[in-house]
Amino acid sequence: MISRKVDFLRELGTIGMGHATTALSEMLQGKLLRLEVPDVRILYFEELAEYVGGLDQVVAGVFIQISGDVSGHMAFILPVESAAVLIRLLVGDGQEHGVFDELGRSAIAELGNIMVTSYLNALAALTNLVMKPSIPGLAVDMAGAVWESILAGAQVDDEVTLIRTEFFAEGVAIHGNIIFLPGEDEFRKIADVLGLGAV
Amino acid sequence: MQEVFVNMGQIRGLAGAGILTTVGLGSCVGIALYDSSARVGIMGHIFLPRSRPDRSAAELPGKYADTAIPALVAEAEKLGAQRHRLWAKLAGGANLFSNLAGANGNIGQQNVQAVLEHLKLYNIPVVGKDVAGNHGRKMRFYVDSGRVTVIAIGKEPIDI
Repeated sequence: MISRKVDFLRELGTIGMGHATTALSEMLQGKLLRLEVPDVRILYFEELAEYVGGLDQVVAGVFIQISGDVSGHMAFILPVESAAVLIRLLVGDGQEHGVFDELGRSAIAELGNIMVTSYLNALAALTNLVMKPSIPGLAVDMAGAVWESILAGAQVDDEVTLIRTEFFAEGVAIHGNIIFLPGEDEFRKIADVLGLGAV
Repeated sequence: MQEVFVNMGQIRGLAGAGILTTVGLGSCVGIALYDSSARVGIMGHIFLPRSRPDRSAAELPGKYADTAIPALVAEAEKLGAQRHRLWAKLAGGANLFSNLAGANGNIGQQNVQAVLEHLKLYNIPVVGKDVAGNHGRKMRFYVDSGRVTVIAIGKEPIDI
């Protein structure tokens, strides 16, 4: 059952992530060079700390609530170093911007918003289910604090579905995590619509 | 000196010496329980205020405030602490995402509230705390002295 669920999510994740990175590439005017196949996994709560690693390293996290036919949460998390590269590519006014200044912060919030929205649009087109994203929330803080706040916000205390992707922009590796956190019922709804039966 | 890390939902204890550390507290609440006579320290990293009736919290009672406090006290007693001598220090319970506050306040607030209520049931006084706000925290608990230091990005560390 778990392996079917992983297969199902990998498929959804690949489609969603494909759309999300295409949107990002457009934002960056084609500067996005290469996208790796996303790594999809289902982790138990206890395994998270080890998976996240570097709990006191600084990350930027964008958190969005989903409502409509499918309710849930999505998040986009990336290390500050990756965020800084994207901000430079996005803003590109010759000034140094970081995740701690206003312009840098709004660029990352917008970027997370666009990635999550394109991911949702791909799922919505596939399923004909309405999934509406809320306005994005942004936090730049210790990785542990950002991850646990997202999981607690989504009330996920059992297992977590993670889609980790890596892409290269101007030769620099950018690591990003898109986390899709629907409830069990929501999984079933999506699977039913797609005719996949029990997952 | 021995340093033991306490991840989400875990409960860890030391007697005599050593450091108990929890890294990256956001909405979670880090709790240090201490018996200075026995030099026994216990740390928890509480994730949500209430366990859910449809799920067993038996595997990881430290996840929820209502099951964590009894488990923390039991662990302290196992290491030689006496319940009536215990005090508590708390850190965390922040709200990192401004779009996350619900009708009952945010989860950080709810966690702090639940921890305080359950400590009260055991008559355990809270002698120090650094909670709420919108930033993450790291908490280090020195079991030889009961000192608890809270570290946040861009701030001076403080002792609570």
